[in-house]
Amino acid sequence: MLAALDRKLLRDLWAVRGQVLAIAFVLGAGIATYVMAASTLDSLQRTQARLYREFRFPDLFAGLKRAPVSVLARISAIPGVTNVEARVAAPANLELAGYGQPISGQIISLPRGPGQFNLLHLHAGRLPESGRDREALVSDGFAKAHKLQPGVTLKVTINGRRRVLEIVGVASTPEFIYQLAPGSIVPDFKTYCVVWMNADTLEGAYNMTGAFNQVAATLERGARTEDAVMALDHILRPYGGLGSHGRKDQISHRYLSEEFKQLTIMSTMFPAIFLSVAAFLLNVVVGRLMATQRGQIATLKAFGYPTSAIVVHFLKFTLVIVVFGVALGIAGGAWMGGGLSRLYMDVYRFPYLDYSIRPSVIAVSLAVSIAAAATGTLFSVLRAARESPAVAMQPANPGRYRRSLFEASWFSQPTRMIVRNIERRPIKSLLSIGGVAMSTAILVLGGFWTDAVDFMVFAQLRRAQLDDITVTFIGPVSIRALYSLTSLPGVTYAEPTRSVPARFRFEQRTYRTALQGLEPEGRLRRLLNKQLEPVQLPAEGIVLTDHLATMLGIRPGQILTVELLEGSRAIRQVPVTGLVSEYIGVSAYMRRDTLNRFLREGDSATGAFLAVDPPQIPSLYQRLKAMPAVAGSAERAQVLRSFYETLAAQMLTFAFFNTILAAAIAVGVVYNTVRISLSERSRELASLRVLGYTRGEVSYILLGELMILVFVAIPVGLVFGRGLSWLMASSAQTELFRVPFIIEPSTYALSALVIAIATVVSALIVGRKVNHLDLVEVLKARE
Amino acid sequence: METVFSARAVTKFYDMGEVRVHALRGVDLELFAGEMMVLLGPSGSGKSTLLNILGGLDRASAGTVQYRGFDITQAKDRELTQYRRKHVGFVFQFYNLIPSLTAIENVAAVTEIADHPMKPAEALELVGLTDRMHHFPSQLSGGQQQRVAIARAIAKRPSVLLCDEPTGALDSETGVVVLEAIDRVNRELGAATAVITHNADIARMANRVVHMSNGLVSHVEPNENRRSPRELHW
Ligand SMILES: Nc1ncnc2c1ncn2[C@@H]1O[C@H](COP(=O)(O)OP(=O)(O)O)[C@@H](O)[C@H]1O
Ligand SMILES: [Mg+2]
Repeated sequence: MLAALDRKLLRDLWAVRGQVLAIAFVLGAGIATYVMAASTLDSLQRTQARLYREFRFPDLFAGLKRAPVSVLARISAIPGVTNVEARVAAPANLELAGYGQPISGQIISLPRGPGQFNLLHLHAGRLPESGRDREALVSDGFAKAHKLQPGVTLKVTINGRRRVLEIVGVASTPEFIYQLAPGSIVPDFKTYCVVWMNADTLEGAYNMTGAFNQVAATLERGARTEDAVMALDHILRPYGGLGSHGRKDQISHRYLSEEFKQLTIMSTMFPAIFLSVAAFLLNVVVGRLMATQRGQIATLKAFGYPTSAIVVHFLKFTLVIVVFGVALGIAGGAWMGGGLSRLYMDVYRFPYLDYSIRPSVIAVSLAVSIAAAATGTLFSVLRAARESPAVAMQPANPGRYRRSLFEASWFSQPTRMIVRNIERRPIKSLLSIGGVAMSTAILVLGGFWTDAVDFMVFAQLRRAQLDDITVTFIGPVSIRALYSLTSLPGVTYAEPTRSVPARFRFEQRTYRTALQGLEPEGRLRRLLNKQLEPVQLPAEGIVLTDHLATMLGIRPGQILTVELLEGSRAIRQVPVTGLVSEYIGVSAYMRRDTLNRFLREGDSATGAFLAVDPPQIPSLYQRLKAMPAVAGSAERAQVLRSFYETLAAQMLTFAFFNTILAAAIAVGVVYNTVRISLSERSRELASLRVLGYTRGEVSYILLGELMILVFVAIPVGLVFGRGLSWLMASSAQTELFRVPFIIEPSTYALSALVIAIATVVSALIVGRKVNHLDLVEVLKARE
Repeated sequence: METVFSARAVTKFYDMGEVRVHALRGVDLELFAGEMMVLLGPSGSGKSTLLNILGGLDRASAGTVQYRGFDITQAKDRELTQYRRKHVGFVFQFYNLIPSLTAIENVAAVTEIADHPMKPAEALELVGLTDRMHHFPSQLSGGQQQRVAIARAIAKRPSVLLCDEPTGALDSETGVVVLEAIDRVNRELGAATAVITHNADIARMANRVVHMSNGLVSHVEPNENRRSPRELHW
């Protein structure tokens, strides 16, 4: 008995293959977003954990001016500390033959033995041999950006003296998974490099023999990081300690955590929205598909099939669609997830990636889809099966209609049919509107992301930071250095800045970031509020990035405790006088003269913002490079480029995939809506054809209904999409980024356009079916 | 008498995989202006197939069908649609009314696209349904629905009225009312009318009875004594 039913199943599926495909696409798109996001995040986090373990990422970090190695014994004695390793690190300027722009970097001493922490993963070449003071390793991001092989030489300026190094190997470590040049917000592998050299050589070059300026340690399981930080700070204070910290404040780790936070939000919000939209649509579409099988269900019952057998039969029907859709989704999601992960790999210097999809992701995909499809099926099948077979054997009564509320006497009969049909089944019409509206909404959501990133860049790099080149000095220098910059050819204007690492405390909350001293009427660095209006820098007092204020729970007018982590190490109570709206990074600002006083120093600066005559930028670079006081310089155009190449690329790729999937969902929904309409009404439409209505006139009745539904759905969807975007923007707030809630009119227009195109394409496909309505067949069958 | 239809050697077969089903095996037939013809024959003898071909719903596999000199077997789809729209009125066993339109609107659906139609109310009056004009199909009995279908078929003043078992789904009393409507339309409007039935009694209302069996016209029997449907019993 089941064999015959199963044969029927296959034939039925084949008969509605267009719809099966469309439904599977909608479902697949929802699943794909989920699989893509979950697998990417999962793979990245798992890889990070594995790297930390295999390459021994320490728990405690500290920088200082200079301490003798003898101090290490005291550090080892800190309760909870298990292993300690010290090293020398020095900022450096690099030159690569054939690359015109300045490269800044950090040179790090290699351990004398096998090493305890931050073990190196060699991508190419070998370690420098002991005693060879020309040999060095470079970071893999830099090597890749410049396509460097072992054997290439590099000119380095350490401590004002030039040296030529030979690259013998390319390496990466968990310490520099996320590589940022000091003061920059996005990695730029072309202009920033980490170099490892033998300890003896570097110590010699940097006057650090028998001493260290960086130390790391591991902690016992259960040891409190805060306690160890306090103890270590205490030991290092006399040696110019710059404040020790746990993993939380280690730059690479912190940025990675922030990005993972961002990715977690994106990878829960997008899939949650997509999957619920897909599940909803699946439920609706399957329900309506089953409703068209009503006659068959009644007939089967008349034959004596029990309701349970019929339900099982139709569940199998939907199960086939679900399995097909989920398989499509997993395959598509894995493909996109792989691509997205590789994109992340370009920014995160992972030596390898454990890309895999957890079985639980597959289980969730299946469970959600089956639940959505099964309820849709059960509802409709049971309703049809409740009808007594006797009723089903009688000729079907014509559907009950009423005159419509929105009807004019001059309506043609076909128009009347459209309006009455929509009104007769308000729930069905609402569900169709809902489905199309949701597809519109997720398109808006995809577009919103692009708008938000563009606005972020616009606000930060076109309104707030107006300098052409940002120069960073090796350390604090007298303001006279600024005058020498101003006299360089091409520089039209220069503005000093003083930056110092600081710890901010309000109530029990603390945060570590740079405190920047700016000129009060600065032209090249402007502090702006949400409306992009300037915020005044007070003579006394501090201005915070709005997100920093939120994290610290402080409001303007309240008093913030500021602890400088350099120089005077002063601790002051400072009133917060205003907030600046910044979308990238968090910072705090004071007037530079106030900060100078605070630091008990003269009129000094750690950097400068330059306005430069654009054609002179390359030659200015050469000049800056030759200046020993200059640690690095960054061109705004370059920052913009690397921003779009790295962080923006990740977000936009993610959003792009989602937009494609949203479009797939839109097409699937619209097509199904009109296709089911056609099967529900083919008899009516064929009757009209018999009466002499042309194909066009008949199509009008079917498609006119679709047009009205879509016409209502689009504005609803745009509003709904705005809501979703707002939800996304308000939850995607991290230290790294705040996503501004900005949707351009073009995004709305584009979303509406995609839906309109989907509608036209569906209409064309279905219109062709209208042309092939079997006029003779429809006269034979009752309904 | 003017010939409305003239069918010559019309065949129709359906290829069903290996087997070929012959629905019509070479039918020759005329339908004259104003006459009432009944097609009589057992189920499966090809009556509906023939009528559908005459009405431009289906195409013959071979042979020719001329409608007032216009060869509908050679017509394009578009021309067939125009042919149905202008000249043919259909009545089917299952009424095929549009459920979302009232009786008068169902008729209007046809008059709106016809060249010289009568008023929808006029057509409904002809079938005696003036009092049910504004009812939806779901509010009408089977016989009433069929009379709306007849009104809809004749409102365009067709030159042919084709009825495929118009009483097939009705009891005999209601059937008589429906046949009376068809009879009246035939007499008053002069539309050449073909009515399919497998009921020999109904044949007595015809001018001519065409017997079909096994895809062929077996014989044509003129009926000198055309009865009004009132006088029929079955
Ligand atoms: N679409 C079709 N496919 C296959 N065979 C058909 C089709 N339509 C009709 N037939 C066959 O053609 C023959 C004539 O059918 P029909 O004209 O409907 O007979 P009648 O109306 O006299 O009962 C029958 O044997 C029927 O099975
Ligand atoms: Mg028949």
